[in-house]
Amino acid sequence: MPLWIRWLMMAVMVLLAGAVVWKECGERGGHGFIRAEVFGGFEEPKITPPRKGEAPVFQEEIINKNQNLPFVHVCSIVELAGGDLGALWYGGPYEYCHENRIYFSTLKDGAWTAPLVIMTPEKVERDLGRPIRCLGNPLLIQSSDGSLRLLFVTIAMGRWSGAQINTCLSKDRGRNWSRVERLTLSPLCNFSELVRNRPIPLTPPSARGGEGWCVPLYQELIGKFPELLWLKQVDGRLIAEKSRMAGGCATLQPSLIPINKESAVALLRDWTQAKRVFMSRTKDGGQTWSRPVPTNLPNPDAGISGLLLSDGRLILAFNDSIILREKLSLALSDDLGASWKNLFLLEHDADAVSSYPFMKRTSDGLIRMVYTHEGDDIKMLTINESWIAAQPGGKLEPSVR
Amino acid sequence: MSLQTLHHLYAALAPWSALSLLLLGRGPYLSRVRIVGSLFLALFVLRIPIAGWTCFQWVMSLEPNPSFTLTALLAVALLQRVGRVQLFSPEDWKAAWFFGALASLILYPMGLGLTSMDPYVLGWRFVLPVAVAVVAIVLILRGNRFGLILLLPFIGFLLRLQESQNFWDAVIDPFYGGGAILIALGICWQGIRRRKSL
Repeated sequence: MPLWIRWLMMAVMVLLAGAVVWKECGERGGHGFIRAEVFGGFEEPKITPPRKGEAPVFQEEIINKNQNLPFVHVCSIVELAGGDLGALWYGGPYEYCHENRIYFSTLKDGAWTAPLVIMTPEKVERDLGRPIRCLGNPLLIQSSDGSLRLLFVTIAMGRWSGAQINTCLSKDRGRNWSRVERLTLSPLCNFSELVRNRPIPLTPPSARGGEGWCVPLYQELIGKFPELLWLKQVDGRLIAEKSRMAGGCATLQPSLIPINKESAVALLRDWTQAKRVFMSRTKDGGQTWSRPVPTNLPNPDAGISGLLLSDGRLILAFNDSIILREKLSLALSDDLGASWKNLFLLEHDADAVSSYPFMKRTSDGLIRMVYTHEGDDIKMLTINESWIAAQPGGKLEPSVR
Repeated sequence: MSLQTLHHLYAALAPWSALSLLLLGRGPYLSRVRIVGSLFLALFVLRIPIAGWTCFQWVMSLEPNPSFTLTALLAVALLQRVGRVQLFSPEDWKAAWFFGALASLILYPMGLGLTSMDPYVLGWRFVLPVAVAVVAIVLILRGNRFGLILLLPFIGFLLRLQESQNFWDAVIDPFYGGGAILIALGICWQGIRRRKSL
């Protein structure tokens, strides 16, 4: 290569590298290593303590009463603009079936609407221009502009380890959906990225605007480990990247519980022989996490979901067994997840599985929890903090306060 | 042309080049008919429907983001085979294999969970483009033509030719990485044997 070509190409390379760096930093906002510069910190949890004399609430109901599907799973709920509650899940003949669809139902005037199909494999295949095996794990995010963002996984090949995350947008409360887009989050053929559990809203850096969320994520290809998906929506454009909470082959499906803007607790499903719920903490807005440690709660390699209560305690829904998912219980922690006390046994039927709880506090102060019941029902539990306080061991000890 | 069509057209280049090279074979003489026939046959094979989807769509469901580096190396190999010109010297190829092997060894074990650090995140930051630019500049200044190939991930990334917005995917993919590791090991093994025989 002549010397002048080398110098010319070197100059071209410098210009191109500059353009790429400018594009990366300009589009995302923030220049470098600090993720909070791009996406912001956790939104401060605003929880109103229960009013004095408030009546305890404990309600159970089946959301998909007349759906008659042999298999439904991974339900999540979202509070829609206007205060209505929406629930979505996937279902069909069996777990890895191409016929499976994503269903959406809303709670209107105290009754759930008939499940509406909002995503089919055919639409995903048409939009992406390639085949998929099946879909699952849907999650909805309500934006402040009224639009709904759907996140769900599709399997390209194999089982869940071959899953990839997709997203699309609805501006008419879930009736019509934009073209499905694939998020590229994994280096090996984009395999094995799955969403599951409640997304946490972020406070965007004021100078840059936009709206952000931190979504629990996990990978289960060679290792099994928890991750976080950081999303920012600016003028309809989505910026997505992920970060790792822990490596290895041990824990997955984090349930994030923000304590304040900087601190959060993550409770994790276990895949080790310890058979325990694991716990990890952050003090820098999710940049770094402590090494996950086992708690005193059992875990039969099953999903969990937790929330912060107004008095600073944590509540967790979990399968109270090291083998099976037939028992579903609630537990309380008054030391930010380090130790737990059982509060209430919700389900215990040797012939029925109750799993994959998803807990959310709605703006009316109620705690809603949905979970898969007996494999073909989606059950919702509604409780309030007065009910928790009324349970044996549910009151906060004065010494802890 | 929609962005998705652009992604599909780009993603088809690597499998088309690889298939064309396979169909051209290793024979010393290539007639014009054989060359044109192989290029068109590769295109035809990619369009054969299997279970309602073309072969290319199945390939794309496996790897939607072939790296610009792999695509360019396949294009160089194809041009060398068809045009009977030497675009790359053995030293240029060696640089390509060692770069691919090193990048894969940095990215894949840690990216798939070996440690708590995830190097894939660097592809969303300025770090990786700067590191690749430095490697490319060193190679270009040494007169290694693989350095010129490393310009392409930058151009492709700026033109959004890939579905992925992570710079790692512009530079490396599992097929290039896996192949590069095997060939680099072969080169090392040959070097060791040669040294032993001396």
